[in-house]
Amino acid sequence: MSQTESHDDGHHGLMVKNKKLLMWLFLGSDCMFFGTLISTHLIYRKLYPEEFDPTQLFSLELTSFSTFILLMSSFLMALSVSAMHKGEMKSFRRNVVGVIFFGLIFLGCQVYEFAHFIHEGLTLDLGTFGSTFYLMTGTHGVHVAVGVFWLISMLFYSQSGKMEAHKNAIDVEIAGLYWHFVDIVWIVIFTVVYLIEFIV
Amino acid sequence: MSDTEHMSQKEILKAENDRYYAFVNLALILAAVTGIELVLVYLPFPTTLIFTVLISLSLFKFVGVVAWFMHLIYDKLILTMAFGTGMIIAFGTYTALLFLLGGDMVAPQEIPGR
Amino acid sequence: MSTTNTTEVINPSVHHDLAELKPEISDLGLKRPDHSKNVLIDWLTTVDHKKIGLMYGAMALFFLLVGGLEALIIRTQLAVPENDLISAQRYNQLFTMHGTTMIFLAIMPLNAAFFNFMVPLQIGARDVAFPRINAFSLWAFVAGALVINFGWLLQALEMFGLFSASGATAGKNDFVPAMGWFGYAPITSTEFTGAGTDFWIMGLQILGVASLSASLNFIVTIINMRAPGMKMMRLPVFTWMTLIVSLLIIFAFPAITVALIQLMFDRVFGTNFFSVAGGGQPILWQHLFWIFGHPEVYILVLPAMGIVSEVLPTFSRKPLFGYAIVVFSGAVIGFLGFAVWSHHMFTTGLGKIATAAFSLLTMAIAVPTGVKIFNWVGTLWGGKIRFHAPMIFAIGFVWMFMLGGFSGIMHSSAPADAQQQDSYFVIAHFHYVAIGGILLAIISGIYYWLPKMIGKMWQGSLNIWVGILTVVGLNITFFPMHFLGLLGQPRRTHTYLSGFGWESYNMVCTIGSYILALGVLLLVVDIIRCFRSKQLAGDDPWDARTLEWATSSPPKVYNFAATPVINARDAYWAHKYGPENRKLGTVEESHGIHMPSQSWMPLIASAGFIPLGLGLSMMQAGVPYMGYVSILGLVIIALGISLWALEGPGGYHLHPKKETN
Repeated sequence: MSQTESHDDGHHGLMVKNKKLLMWLFLGSDCMFFGTLISTHLIYRKLYPEEFDPTQLFSLELTSFSTFILLMSSFLMALSVSAMHKGEMKSFRRNVVGVIFFGLIFLGCQVYEFAHFIHEGLTLDLGTFGSTFYLMTGTHGVHVAVGVFWLISMLFYSQSGKMEAHKNAIDVEIAGLYWHFVDIVWIVIFTVVYLIEFIV
Repeated sequence: MSDTEHMSQKEILKAENDRYYAFVNLALILAAVTGIELVLVYLPFPTTLIFTVLISLSLFKFVGVVAWFMHLIYDKLILTMAFGTGMIIAFGTYTALLFLLGGDMVAPQEIPGR
Repeated sequence: MSTTNTTEVINPSVHHDLAELKPEISDLGLKRPDHSKNVLIDWLTTVDHKKIGLMYGAMALFFLLVGGLEALIIRTQLAVPENDLISAQRYNQLFTMHGTTMIFLAIMPLNAAFFNFMVPLQIGARDVAFPRINAFSLWAFVAGALVINFGWLLQALEMFGLFSASGATAGKNDFVPAMGWFGYAPITSTEFTGAGTDFWIMGLQILGVASLSASLNFIVTIINMRAPGMKMMRLPVFTWMTLIVSLLIIFAFPAITVALIQLMFDRVFGTNFFSVAGGGQPILWQHLFWIFGHPEVYILVLPAMGIVSEVLPTFSRKPLFGYAIVVFSGAVIGFLGFAVWSHHMFTTGLGKIATAAFSLLTMAIAVPTGVKIFNWVGTLWGGKIRFHAPMIFAIGFVWMFMLGGFSGIMHSSAPADAQQQDSYFVIAHFHYVAIGGILLAIISGIYYWLPKMIGKMWQGSLNIWVGILTVVGLNITFFPMHFLGLLGQPRRTHTYLSGFGWESYNMVCTIGSYILALGVLLLVVDIIRCFRSKQLAGDDPWDARTLEWATSSPPKVYNFAATPVINARDAYWAHKYGPENRKLGTVEESHGIHMPSQSWMPLIASAGFIPLGLGLSMMQAGVPYMGYVSILGLVIIALGISLWALEGPGGYHLHPKKETN
């Protein structure tokens, strides 16, 4: 599935595929994006440490579980990229189904978490904590959802038989890069937003 | 992979199979580290120590995923530069911002209803 | 890939079989809009970087005139004390839209026009790396420009009593943004401003998407699409500056993107990012805005430096003095640009250490900038200077930009800045940089490259009048503002009382602004005359140095009939006058030239931004059903991108036949 076209991959250049370079640049840009979101949260936590005590609300077990799920989905994603390079379409599909499944579990956990928090009184407009927390984790959730949608459409595309291992390996690879990036953002959020709250 | 174009199918298979073991090992380590992190926050060690360890473990996971799952160590340097530039600028800017907006620089917050 | 090193001109007149080509069917089963006889369809679906560049240029020139008109109304209002030509609110709207229009809708797209048209030619590429994304960037820019200016229509309706705000912003009838181009919190909250702020938020957000996608595209193009032999240190300086600016955009824009999302959430969903009542800190907006805003300043000026670095060597008939240092200085300016944002906020009380650090870093930026100035002067030194139109403006740039730089260094000192903050001194500074620097360089670029773009040559000597009027006009307008600022006249105030000694200065400024406007108007007249000119430009009217002059004027759709092989830095100059081993070669290709297919999808995907942006903004003004309209916009975007992905890149081959020579 060709999300973006790249006509005539560089005749000179550094022998990096156009699409891959584009994706890495986008991820570099996205570092700044999530950096802004996360730092907004941390700044308000630093300014108003007494405003809200999330340790009563956060369930570290649940969050650790969803972190684990996302890490494992990343592992499966790496395997499906690998399978694509080897030309093993069946193994690719199996692994991608796993990634999608784990991604949906993660999203389910997040929906449950949000519903639970709102029920407990942490609403979007509760001081700055509600605002920064929901926007940050919500934006990450949207990234996961986009990734799931991307992979599902890729799965359908491969079912249609139009997918060729040699031609479309790069498309799977950049989808994989995106997925891993969403994973590493969560690695950071898990530590600085969730874990740190319990020790300071 | 940028260089797969010039590799025979056999070489690709070998490279991917080598990577497979790296991926499995990394996945196991990542799972273990997440478990350690969860336990760590409840341990009665000094806060500073736990804080340092947590940040280091997070960094370790980050680098692990970027380097192996995202193939950066197998790939061209330019990709590391593209991502690294964004990472460095983001980290530098927001670290500076965290220090700029100190707790003593704003008036205490008045939360409605409290 | 076999390369030959011949002295043959690399773009001989060619016959191509464009007329015989039939459009193919895309993977979706639809006919691709290739080779359309319908001019409108051809331009709407084009993926050709040259057509996209021309459209960017035309749009940007239009908005340059709009922004200029807004400035003239502002200056007319300020000509005499206690003038009541326009109300305070209208004045606020005019200066907000003047700033926003000039930065995002005039200068950035004018730069983008040159990026699009020139960069692929300068590196010997057939097109950019992702032609359809390039088209998407253009149309997203058009959508953003429409959204941000849509408020004028509602404002006109409001003036005739046909429309008034209800809902979230009931009672606030400012539909054109009125809070300044950097939208400081808390003025942007719903308590103080109406739907104009929402139009501004959505418009900037869409323009951000356009800039980001275009920049990602250009970085990949410059790194990956270079012709054989075009090493990084052989790139023309303009291409280098494009690369640096694109990097600045992709790393600076996310900060404003997030800040705008947060502001939108504050206004629409009642969050507390910047609203003081709920604990939000308005100072955080300032930080986030300037984390983007300061690199943005270099995003505007570095392309201008690139243009000048092309023009000066051409008309001095000398290589650029210290090429490597000029490139390196550009990179240093770009990188340091991320570390100085707080110098816009010295008076907010950052603390001693932070103020000192940002002051020092700001002063440090003067070093690479000064290095560049010396290099330009060094280029002129001992050259055989020809005073053609591009050269006049390029030299004007060096001088005027220096004046803007001097007052900039004055600002870098925090105690001095505290005196100048928010006064007309600041206005004088950044207009010297923006008009004396950027605009003069862009005019220079227009005079330099338009013959290449349309294949026709300038006629007459109107350009001299454009030069005299713009340079004289800008100095009469902005030089007195230094004194006005030091006398204490605050910026962004719709009128002033007499008796402060400001009257005569203001009158002079207003007269100057009309002279400047006349100069810009004559430029437009000159451009129209050039389009109607009968005289052909020829491939190389200026005896220039870089690769874009090696192909025909205007360049054929495939740019180069055969991919050139570059063997020297000033590739075309070396080809014309250099030794045998530095001349251009060609790559022998047997399979013809691969051309990307045209597509409707970029247009459709970016058209979705219009209902999305207008819908959300008008929802805030209480127009019914607008929530659904914005959802419709999202659906259109998603649909456009999905169909885009599924239609496949396509492409066809051209076989330009070389005439034997």
